[in-house]
Amino acid sequence: MRNLFNFIIRNSHWMLATLLIAFSFYLVFAHNSYQRSVYLNSSNKVMGWIYNTSNNVTSFVHLKKNNQLLLEQNATLESELYLLRSTLNDLVSSDSSNVVAFANDSIAQSQFSFIPSEVVNMSFSGPNNFITINRGSIDGIKPDMGVISQRGVVGVVSNVSTNFSLVIPIINPLFRLSAKLKNSDNYGSLSWNGKNLNEAQLGELPKHEVYNNGDTVVTSFSRIFPKQLIIGFVSRIGESKDDNFNTFEVELATDFKSLQNVLIISDMYYEEQKALESVAKR
Amino acid sequence: MKIRYLQEVFIFILLIMLQVILLNRINVFGYATPVLYIYFLLKLPFGRNHFYTIISGFLIGLIIDIFLNTPGMNAAATTIVATFRKPILNLFYDREIFDEFVPGMNTGASQFVRFTVFTVLFHLTLLFFIESFTLFNAVDTFLRIIASSIVSILIIISMDGLIYRKKSSEQT
Repeated sequence: MRNLFNFIIRNSHWMLATLLIAFSFYLVFAHNSYQRSVYLNSSNKVMGWIYNTSNNVTSFVHLKKNNQLLLEQNATLESELYLLRSTLNDLVSSDSSNVVAFANDSIAQSQFSFIPSEVVNMSFSGPNNFITINRGSIDGIKPDMGVISQRGVVGVVSNVSTNFSLVIPIINPLFRLSAKLKNSDNYGSLSWNGKNLNEAQLGELPKHEVYNNGDTVVTSFSRIFPKQLIIGFVSRIGESKDDNFNTFEVELATDFKSLQNVLIISDMYYEEQKALESVAKR
Repeated sequence: MKIRYLQEVFIFILLIMLQVILLNRINVFGYATPVLYIYFLLKLPFGRNHFYTIISGFLIGLIIDIFLNTPGMNAAATTIVATFRKPILNLFYDREIFDEFVPGMNTGASQFVRFTVFTVLFHLTLLFFIESFTLFNAVDTFLRIIASSIVSILIIISMDGLIYRKKSSEQT
C-alpha cells in the first residue's frame, strides 16, 4: 500500500500532464465538430476589446490606401447619381400623371440593407481562416448574414456575440457558395483548396461553358447574397476532378490581406424565405 | 527569488501579447509563422518543479488558443513539450548542474542553441500535426514545420543573445 502511495506521489506530475493533454485534445476534437465554441473565440468580449485596441493602430497605417479607394468609389457613385438624376428629371417633366395623390408608399423599403463594420482581427496563417468584425447582435447581426467589401464578396457571419461577430471568409475550406460567370446562366460551386489566399476554385461548371480569362464571376442563387455581386475574375482553367465539368481558378476581387471596412448584408425577407423553404424540405 | 517569479509572469504576458498581436500576422511566403511563446519554457530554471512547468505550459498554450480560435491545439503541443522538458534538458546539459541554472546564450551558447533547435522542432512538429487533422497535404505540413522552425529558432537565439549582451555590458 505504501509503495503504491509512493509510486503515485513520485509520478503524479505525469498524471497531471496526461490529464491536461487529454483535456487539450478534447478541446481540439470538440472544436472540430462544433465549428466554433462560443466561449473560446475572438468574438468574445475581452478578446474583442484587445483586438479592437490593436486594430486602431493598424487601421491608421492603412488609412491612406482606404481613403483613396473610398474617393474612387465616391466618384463613380457621384457620376451614377448625376446620370440617374438627369433621367429622372426628364421623366418627371414628361409625365403628366405626376399627381400628389399617387405619392409613393413611404414605408416601401429595399429588400437588402447594409450595416457598415470594421475588421478587428483576422487569421490567414493556417487552414482555419476567420475574420472578426466589431458589430454584434446589438447592431442586428445574425448568423448566416453575408459580408461584402467595397470590391466584392468577403464571407458569411458564423458566430455572433453582443458586440462582435465572426466571419468565415471565402478562403476557408468550409466555405461554399453558388456562383456563375456574368454572361452565362450555368452556375457552379465556389470553394477554396487551401493553397493561395488570392485564388478560389469555381467548380462543377459544364464543359461547354464558353469563357475568357478575366471573365467576371458573380453570385448566383443564394439565400445569403443578392444576385450579381462580384466575387472575382477567372484567371485560368484549373484541374478538374471530374471529366464532365470544368474548374476555374478565380482571382478574388477582395484583397483579404488589407481588408479594413466591410458591409454586412441584412435581408428583410430572410426569415420568410427560410420558413417557406423549410416546408419544401420536410 | 520572488523577483524571479514576477519576472516570469511578466515574460509570460509579454510573450502572449507578442505572439497574438504581432507574430501571428506574419506569414512569410505563406509557410513560415514564427512561434515564439515556447521561449518561456526554454528559460525556466533547471530545477523548477514539474507541476509548475506543466501547468504554466498548459496555460500559455490555452491562452494563445483562446486568442487564435484554435481550442486545444497549442495547449496540447505545449503541455507535451513542458512534460518532456526535463528529459530534453538532460540530453544537452550536465545532470549535475545546480537548480537555479537558467539555460541561455550567456551560459553555454552551443548547448543552448542545440536545446532550442530540438525543443522548437519538437513543439512545431506536434503543433502542425495536431492542426493537420483538418489539413489536406502532408508535404505542405512538412514545409510549414521546417520554415516556421527556422524563423522561430533564429528569432529566439538572436533575442536571447541580445538580452545577454545588454546585461554583460551593464555589469562592466
